[in-house]
Amino acid sequence: MSLPAWLTLRRATTVVVIALLLVFPFLVDEFWLNTAAFIVIYAIGALGLNVLTGLTGQVSLGHAFFLGVGAYTAAVLGGQYHVMALWWILAAGIVAAICGAIIGPTALRLRGLYLAVVTIGIVFIGQHLFDNLKWLSGGPPGRAIPAPQFGLAFTCPSSGCALDFDQQQTFLGLTFDKNGLFYYLGLVILVLGMLFVRNLLRTRPGRALQAVRERELAASLMGVDLARWKVSAFVISSFLAGISGALLASLVSFIQPDFWSLVLSIQFVAAVIVGGVGTIWGPLLGSVVIFGLEPVMQRYAQSLPLLAHGGSGGGVAVSDATHIFYGIAIVVFLVVEPLGVIGLARRAGRLLHRRRAAATAAAA
Amino acid sequence: MSDAASNVLEAKGLTLVFGAVTAFSDVDFHVGEGELFAVIGPNGAGKTSLFNVISRVYRPTRGSIRYRDEDLLRRRRSDMPGLGIARTFQNLGLFHNMTVLDNVLVGRHHLMRSGSLLGGIYAGYARREEREHRRAAMDVLGFAGVEEWAGYPVQVLPYGIQKRVELARALAMEPRVLLLDEPVAGMSSAERGEITQLVRRIHQERGMTIVLVEHDMGMVMQVAQRVMVLDFGRVIGVGTPAEVQRDPQVIRAYLGEALEDAS
Amino acid sequence: MTTFFQLFVAGLALGCIYALVALGFTIIYRASQVINFAQGSFLLLGAYLVSWFSLDRSYPFVVAALLALGITVVVGVVFQTVVLRFTVGQPVFTVVMITIGLNIALEGTVPALFGSSTRSIGDPWGSSAVHLGGVVINWDSVWTIGVTLLILVLFFAFNRFSRYGLAMRATAMDEEAAMAVGVPTRRVHALAWGLAGAVATVGGFFLAGFPNSLSPGIDVIALRAFPAIILGGLDSPLGAVVGGVTIGLVEELTAGYQPNDAPWLGANFYSVAPYILMILVLLVRPYGLFGHRPAERA
Repeated sequence: MSLPAWLTLRRATTVVVIALLLVFPFLVDEFWLNTAAFIVIYAIGALGLNVLTGLTGQVSLGHAFFLGVGAYTAAVLGGQYHVMALWWILAAGIVAAICGAIIGPTALRLRGLYLAVVTIGIVFIGQHLFDNLKWLSGGPPGRAIPAPQFGLAFTCPSSGCALDFDQQQTFLGLTFDKNGLFYYLGLVILVLGMLFVRNLLRTRPGRALQAVRERELAASLMGVDLARWKVSAFVISSFLAGISGALLASLVSFIQPDFWSLVLSIQFVAAVIVGGVGTIWGPLLGSVVIFGLEPVMQRYAQSLPLLAHGGSGGGVAVSDATHIFYGIAIVVFLVVEPLGVIGLARRAGRLLHRRRAAATAAAA
Repeated sequence: MSDAASNVLEAKGLTLVFGAVTAFSDVDFHVGEGELFAVIGPNGAGKTSLFNVISRVYRPTRGSIRYRDEDLLRRRRSDMPGLGIARTFQNLGLFHNMTVLDNVLVGRHHLMRSGSLLGGIYAGYARREEREHRRAAMDVLGFAGVEEWAGYPVQVLPYGIQKRVELARALAMEPRVLLLDEPVAGMSSAERGEITQLVRRIHQERGMTIVLVEHDMGMVMQVAQRVMVLDFGRVIGVGTPAEVQRDPQVIRAYLGEALEDAS
Repeated sequence: MTTFFQLFVAGLALGCIYALVALGFTIIYRASQVINFAQGSFLLLGAYLVSWFSLDRSYPFVVAALLALGITVVVGVVFQTVVLRFTVGQPVFTVVMITIGLNIALEGTVPALFGSSTRSIGDPWGSSAVHLGGVVINWDSVWTIGVTLLILVLFFAFNRFSRYGLAMRATAMDEEAAMAVGVPTRRVHALAWGLAGAVATVGGFFLAGFPNSLSPGIDVIALRAFPAIILGGLDSPLGAVVGGVTIGLVEELTAGYQPNDAPWLGANFYSVAPYILMILVLLVRPYGLFGHRPAERA
């Protein structure tokens, strides 16, 4: 009996993974669910950066700025004007995208390392703005961001909209708390984003972006308008960053301007690399490693050797340990497997394939 | 003799100076419709620089190029496909991390329309476009004899296959003029023969106007209708392959290589 | 007027530190076409090593400084020979990210080894100052400017007149050609990284001198050397120095005058002024004031 053609190993794996992601919240405790919600939301931002840096090859260390823009858009619309969540989430993406469209054309005239350094400038100038525009960000002490409220109206009345993330919700006999709701919301947006990227890759725009990354000269001789596609990538990346930032701030519920730092930008770049540059699942996998590591290490600091944990003195601080770990991870992945975790998975797949082929050849 | 009205390319007084180095100076030539015109010369003669000027990669210091009725120097690089000009590169301009098929599909880029939005949501229009142009791409790959490699990333393929993919990609642009930069550079004699055959087929079966830069006299003798010889950035001979081969100046420039290779 | 002069001297001193860090960047960039994002962490490592040797181990300051220099040089060389040799042929972006990885790892290692509390660099002149007709100049600034000048003169002499200086210039211009004529390019790369590490360390111990102190966050200051190299152009040592000094002056003068004269620009405007200046320069000259457009291979 042979399997139908459409049931490839790849499709089967995807289905299994998605199923696992869906039931995951019911299998774990609050700590893991909260961590997963964060990871999924960070992954949205990483997916965006992957389009810009992974697909189009434009190095950006400015990602944190666009997340911040999204977060403060959400704060103003959702917090001050009580707009319904769907709208402030979209608005966060759109406002960040507009910033990308404005900054993009000028920044992207620069190449390679000059571009990278200018994006560092964007983060610092952004932080300066956030620090000083107190009405927007609350200044250095920070500002509260409301949890999402979904309803049918454009704004939510003071009594709150129907689906309020701050309260437990029940669907079909299952209860969802704040972490669970954020997790599913983030997952839905992430999957939609991944579908979008997958479609890009199998159509003209995705090829154009990659051509820009590979060989600009040849690409432009084939009619690929370099400026236009670089800016497109920047806008897509900023859009997703804005949404990610808004949800992040909302989940944390209170955010200070120094959060949108160069360190955060670098973490995103690390997530894109470790996951697998230019791949679809890479951003999620990379986010699991980069953004999941610190919470996990904090939790298990007691049982892991060398780590400092509250009580007894000595030991390495968890944040330092995570830095060391993923600094080395970046170096190792880039030297050994530029396609990150996905690359390793593919290599393993090919190995299995070869073994099976050899086995069938031997048996024949 | 060439009728000026049917000239596809006409260059006058082309000169390229980089600081203290003159790549070439006062180069005049014309290419007729459907002609296969070769530019040859020893290494360092300025052939590739000339090519880069024609394909708008470099800006010439002096001189003019007319493409049909247009002043080519007024057009930008990204206008080339619209004008019907396609080129290949000496060191291969392929997109290494993309598949063969995707490379060729980038050649179709200027013939397609879908942007990020249409492509991202995979709307009906994008779907139809993909179907149509993938078929065209596979046809071109078939013509070049490399359709079985369509799904492979370019970087794992042997050099000879890559060269053919590059030719296919240029053809996929549906050009009216093909600029080929040393198509048989670095090849074994078997591979050279195959590519020469392919170039001849493109010229004859598709009636393509071709400008060829090449160092290998043997290949040029087999396919070119007219040849221009450069040495130290100056034109030292223009004519049919046979004429040029007999020209004493040309022989001197090559130090007898021409005679040996052609026989 | 005295305020201006004091700010000017402070700016010059800060500018010298930036010039040193920028010089380190430029040395590596010219040799390997890479911006070494780990320069900041070399600076951090070097400064902490000096502090540790001279305070925790009570070595004389000069000995501590030399030991720190030695160790950072070794780290730079080892990194280059062990890791970067595997990245030949990879796109520049990959190599840059690897240096970012190194930076992150070192940034974590330093506090892991030495703790994260603020400490002193252990320099012998501390907070003493010299008074010149109403103007107060810290000895730290004097030493900074003096030593930097010395290093710059030595470097330019080395670059110009020594065999290895020539080798470095040849490798920077065309590595393949240099290899073809027998230039020991691998040693040149190692040398470049070693020098960069050394220069960063020197910058580090002046940076952590008065009125600053040493804490794990100071490597962020190395990031302000980026505007310096961009201003000066990535491949020009002279540009690095001019850029560094410019940025230092801009920073100190802005810090001194802006809060009173243009408070609407925001608090701590001096820390973003270099970046704004850099962006303005790049709008007009995309390769910096002294930099060159890299040749594109057709």
